[in-house]
Parts: sequence; C-alpha cells; structure tokens
Amino acid sequence: MIPVKYNLRSLRIRWVTTLLTALFTGLLVCASVFVFGLVDGLMNAFNVSSDELKLIVLRNGATEEIGSQIDGARARELGSVLESEGIATDSKGRVMSSPEQLTILTKPRRGDTIAVNLGVRGVSDMGPSLRPGFEIVKGRMFEPGKYEAITSPSIAERFQNCGLGEELTINNRPFRIVGLFKASGSVAESEVWTPVADLQAARKTPNFITSVVMMARDEAAKQRLIARIEDDEQFGLEVKDEKEYFQEQVKAVAVIRGIGYGLAMFLSIGAMFGAANTMYAAVAGRAREIGTLRALGFSRFSVLMSFLFESIALCLLGGIVGCLGTLPFNGMSSGTSISFNEVTFSFNFGPRVLLQGALLALTLGLLGGLFPAIRAVRMNIVRALREV
Amino acid sequence: MGFLKYILRNVSRNKLRSLLTALSVGICLAMMTVLYGFITLNDALIPELAAANRMIVMSRDGFTSSIPITVLDHVKRLDGVQSVVPLTWYLGVYRDEKMPSFAQLATDPKELLKVWFEFRLDPDQLQAWQDDRTGCIVDRRNAARYDWNVGDSIRLKGNNYSVDLELTVRGIYDGPEFINDLYFHWEYLDQELRSRNDPKAGTASILFVRAKSEKVMDQLCEQVDQRYENSDHPTLTQSHQAFAQMFTKFAGNLQVYIRNIGLAVVFSLTLVAGNAMAMSMRERTTEIALLKAIGFSRGLVLIMVLGESMAISLLGGVFGVGTGRVVWSTVHYFWPTFVPMDFIAPVVLVSGVAVAAGVGLVSGILPAVRASRLSVIDGLRRVV
Repeated sequence: MIPVKYNLRSLRIRWVTTLLTALFTGLLVCASVFVFGLVDGLMNAFNVSSDELKLIVLRNGATEEIGSQIDGARARELGSVLESEGIATDSKGRVMSSPEQLTILTKPRRGDTIAVNLGVRGVSDMGPSLRPGFEIVKGRMFEPGKYEAITSPSIAERFQNCGLGEELTINNRPFRIVGLFKASGSVAESEVWTPVADLQAARKTPNFITSVVMMARDEAAKQRLIARIEDDEQFGLEVKDEKEYFQEQVKAVAVIRGIGYGLAMFLSIGAMFGAANTMYAAVAGRAREIGTLRALGFSRFSVLMSFLFESIALCLLGGIVGCLGTLPFNGMSSGTSISFNEVTFSFNFGPRVLLQGALLALTLGLLGGLFPAIRAVRMNIVRALREV
Repeated sequence: MGFLKYILRNVSRNKLRSLLTALSVGICLAMMTVLYGFITLNDALIPELAAANRMIVMSRDGFTSSIPITVLDHVKRLDGVQSVVPLTWYLGVYRDEKMPSFAQLATDPKELLKVWFEFRLDPDQLQAWQDDRTGCIVDRRNAARYDWNVGDSIRLKGNNYSVDLELTVRGIYDGPEFINDLYFHWEYLDQELRSRNDPKAGTASILFVRAKSEKVMDQLCEQVDQRYENSDHPTLTQSHQAFAQMFTKFAGNLQVYIRNIGLAVVFSLTLVAGNAMAMSMRERTTEIALLKAIGFSRGLVLIMVLGESMAISLLGGVFGVGTGRVVWSTVHYFWPTFVPMDFIAPVVLVSGVAVAAGVGLVSGILPAVRASRLSVIDGLRRVV
C-alpha cells in the first residue's frame, strides 16, 4: 500500500487548490447540514408531541382539530362515562381527560404588520398534565376566570402582544400573558393557552369544544376506549391515536423534508463535480509520480485506493469544517407555517444530523474521486514516466 | 472575432474540466431557480391582483374563523361596492383522497362572476348552475385532471363541516391560472347546516368584494371595520393583494434561510469556478508567457482569461436556469398541489443567468490578474 503520508503531503504542497476545494465542499455541506438540522428540528416538534397512550377525540369525519366540533356538555360527560373503560387518573385521582378548544387567530409577528396564523388553545385543568415535560419557566400558571393566558418563550419572542405581561386581544377581549411554559419542544410550544371557559366566553362560543385529549391507562385500555367511542353511534365521534394523528400532520413536514433533501442532493452533486475537477488536475499533474509508483511495483489497486483516499480526505476536511460551521445555530428557535398553523421549532444539529453531513462529504469525496482515480490506474507506465 | 474564437478554443481545450465546472454551476443554479421560483411565486401574483379592485372581509381572528352572513347585507349597501359574494371554504375530501386536494367554495352563483369578472363561463351553463341548487362549476384544468364533464356528479366528504355533499357539474369555467376552485351554492350548504343545528349555519368564511374604483377601497375597508369594531364579531377588511401577502408571510423564516443558502451557494460556486480556472492557468503558464512575448498586451491577456471564465460559468448558468425551469413545469404537471402555477417570475430567471455571469467574472479575476502580471522570462523558463 502507498503510505497515507504521500497523499497528505500532496495535499499540503498544492495547498491553494486544497484549501479552495475544502472550502467549497465545506460550504455546500454546511448548507445541506443546515437544512438537515431544520428538518430534524421540525420533525422533533411533532415526534415529541406524541405519546403512545394518548388519544384525541374529534367529531366524526374531521381530520384535524380545526374543523372538528363537539358539544361541550358531551365532551365533559365523555370523561366520566369512559372512566371505567380505562382512562388514566393522575396522582390526585382525577380523570386524565381534557376537553379543549383550538382556534386560529391571525396576529402579526414582531416587526411586521401583516398578520399570520397563531393557534390559541383553551385547555382544562388537565391540559398541562397531558403534555409531556410541561413546566412553567417564567411567571405563573393562569387562573381561570381572569382572562389570563400562557405561552412558550419562542412564541413570546416571535409574536406581538405575546410577551410576558403583554395583552393579546381575542375577539375584543384582552388576555394578559402571565406565564411562559415549555413542553419538551413539542407543538404545544407553538400555541397560546388559556382556560377553556375564558376562551369560550371571549369568542362567544359557549359549549364549543374542538377536541378531547385523554390518556389511557395502558395499551389494552386504549384499545377498549377506541372501540367504545367509535362503536357508539350516539357519540358521533372519532378517536385517533395521538401518534397516528401527528403522523398526518407530519406529512406536511414531509414536503419540506423532501425539498430539503432534494436541495442537499443537488448541492452535493455540484460539489462533487468541483471535487472531481481538483482530482483530475491532481492526477494529470502527477502523471510522472504515478508512473514511478507503478514502476516501483505498487499495484493498480493501491494506486486507485491512494487517490480515492486523497479525494475523501479532501472532502471530509471540507465536510468537517461545514458541520462545525452549523454548530452556532444549534437550538436556534424558528417558526414556519405547517398547513396554516404556526409551528415553532428549534434547529437540531445532533450527532445524527452531523453524521449525515459527514457521510455526505464522504460520499461526494468517493464519487468525485472515483473517475480521476480510475484514470490514474489506466495510465500507461512508460508513457506516464516520459510525461513532463 | 478571432479573439472570441481563441477564447472558445480555450474553453473547449480541457473539455472535461470545463464541463464539470459548468455542470457544477448549472446544477446548483437549477436548484436555486426552483427554490426562488417557489418563494417568489406568491409575490409575483400580487401586482396582477391589484388591478381588479377586489377586497376581502374576514374575521379579525383570522380566516379560519367565520363571519355572520348579515355582514354581507350591510356591505352590499355601502356606496362604492359593486358586488359582493360570500365564500366558505368547505374543505371536503374527494373520493378516496386523504386530504382536500382542491378548494371547494360555497358562494352566491348570481353574483360570483361579477366579482370574478375574469372567469369565462358559457351563459347557458351559468344559467343551469344558478337553477340547480346542488349544481357546481369547476375549473377546466381540474375538469381535465379528474375527467369531469357537465352532468357528472361529484361527491365530497365533509372534513371541516359535518355535512357531506353530492354536487352536479353544471359548468366548466376558464379562470386565471392560480384559481382551480370548485364553486357551489352557499344556500345549499347553509340549509344542510341549519337542518343539523350546526353553529356554523348562517356564516361565511370571508366576503369577496369588488369595489367600483380603486379610490374608494381604503375608505371602504375602514368603513366596514369601524362598523363591526365593537360587535361580537369584529372584521378585518383588506385588499386582495394584502390578503395574498399574508400567505407569503406564512413561510416565516424559511424564506430568509433559502436566501442565505443561496448566498452560500453563490460563494462556493465562485470557489469551484475559480479553482478550475486557476488550475488551467497554472498549466498554461508557458503559453501565456509566449503570448506576451509575441506582443499580447496585459489588458488583452486579462480579458482573455476573464472571457474564458465567464463563458464557462454562463454556459452552466443558462443550462442550470433552463433545467430549473423545466423541472418546475414537470413538477407542476405531476404534482399541482406543490407547484400551483407553471410560472416563474422572469426576474428570477434573469437573475440566475446574471449570477452565473457574476460568478464567472469574480472567479476569473485572480487567475486573470496573475496571468497578466506574469513575467515573460519567468514564465518561459518555468517547467510545469
């Protein structure tokens, strides 16, 4: 085998080309990793939201909470009727079922005049316990009957009138933001929460519920609950496994993911051609060296491997720089609209995403170096040695 | 002329290198063309909308909330209003589709074509639609896509509403390219809702208003909103173009990211092209020295190298923008939900080619300056 040192020294001696190639592969890998991190963060917002044992009850035929409507009295009744069927209870023995109303307001983001969608959810006392990792990080929990609201730090930061102490107007009724909460980065963090009765009163929609969220005691209880709700014609309700429900929502994210991966692919092909250029020049410029190596008895295979290694080393160098370049953005919070709902998410450049970036660099080094390396192998020894 | 030929000869000398560089530029620009086409699509329509003097009345809480139909009677009587229709997004699911794939709007068939005056619909078909309470009209492209003909029935499953609909196609209209909606009787939907005691009975998602002239629009917006300011259902009235702008804003930071990625791509392409050019120049050191020895001026050598570099990038740019445009049309043809219109703003295409020219110019500067400054003696002496 040709020593690795030979390649590393070759890279060093042509340092301008090496630097340029590493820099552009790095930049293109950086752009791709940035997109991967965005998609990963977005998926994460939906994935942590779902809990195996959680169920969402909607009106029969509704695919989303918006558009679903359930009579409030029936929604409350649902909890007590179904308790025996296996709804979980919390430590105080209360039934874990929360009738909620989700509405979408249009409010301007900060520094903007045009309003965009913002989800406001009226929740019952049980609402917070049904969200994994719910905690108030600043201020306090709202008190029912006082037209108070809480929201996540990222919504507070991004939307006008949503900061702690500010007042958000819902149908001419001001709601004071009294607290900021986190819920392990789930989609709940994209919403403003108020007590359900206050939201109903402000919107003049008494008794109007869009969904009931409930927690099953165990898997068997979950199946019983599903069967019981769906079989009962009187209810006229449909029940969805939360995981399944979010899966539907994630489909919209899948479009963004598709676009993101397409982008990464195109950019990588672009970078690959650039890297191939560098390697072709390296092979052409070192014809005599290659001839000498072969004359010394190094096999075609070792020459091939040697040039492939050089190409991969070159691109990996760029790839690592590119991956590191995204780290300052790790955890950066951002928001976009998924099927007309504002969803906030945090960029996530975890090990998986960085590994994807490194693999990308490796692949483009391999593919970009393959043809130049084959050219090196095919060289006629005598002619190569004669080359000036 | 001979000079240009010389440049082109140089371009095709190391064919593989020029091709790889051009492809690198081209592929990245193809991607950027599609992405920019995407983020500018909505804005590109806005000037077109401005001409029609249309306004939209919606709930202050957003267009997913609804407004009472009584607002319509009030708006209709205002001075300066030419006509007004209710629009309710029914959001039904067609056949075995999982999600609504085209919009179905409940409206007033008598007034719709006064607001959407661009629609072309056969007068007999219009009459037939108006006479049939369960009739609907569909867009010609959608009709072709789903193979609908006049007289066919379309069954929609309620998603946002608890009512399923059975509609009959009474007409096929030609509208602006960005419209592919199905329109049916608001009265029909409302009666069904009323019979079920649905709280959504007696409401519309938005009102679509056509003003008599542009001048009265601002005043009308104010008038409507003031009237309902302190009611149970405050309204938000804005021009059609302002309404459309709202949708552009939905993408949020994504737009900013795409623009930044675009910058990073342009910068790296400059490096790709610059690297290739520098390699070519290094290999041609002796030749350039020779050119200078026989009397080529510094300026001429400079222009020669810059010309070569620009030619390669432009080649890639034209290829890339062209490919991007074709990809756009293809996606539009197969997945019209992603790419609703077969249109990319010309400014995007022109910028794409301009960016390629810029990349060629900037990436050529360093190698060109180097070549022009090359000392004849050193160059001739050097063995590469």
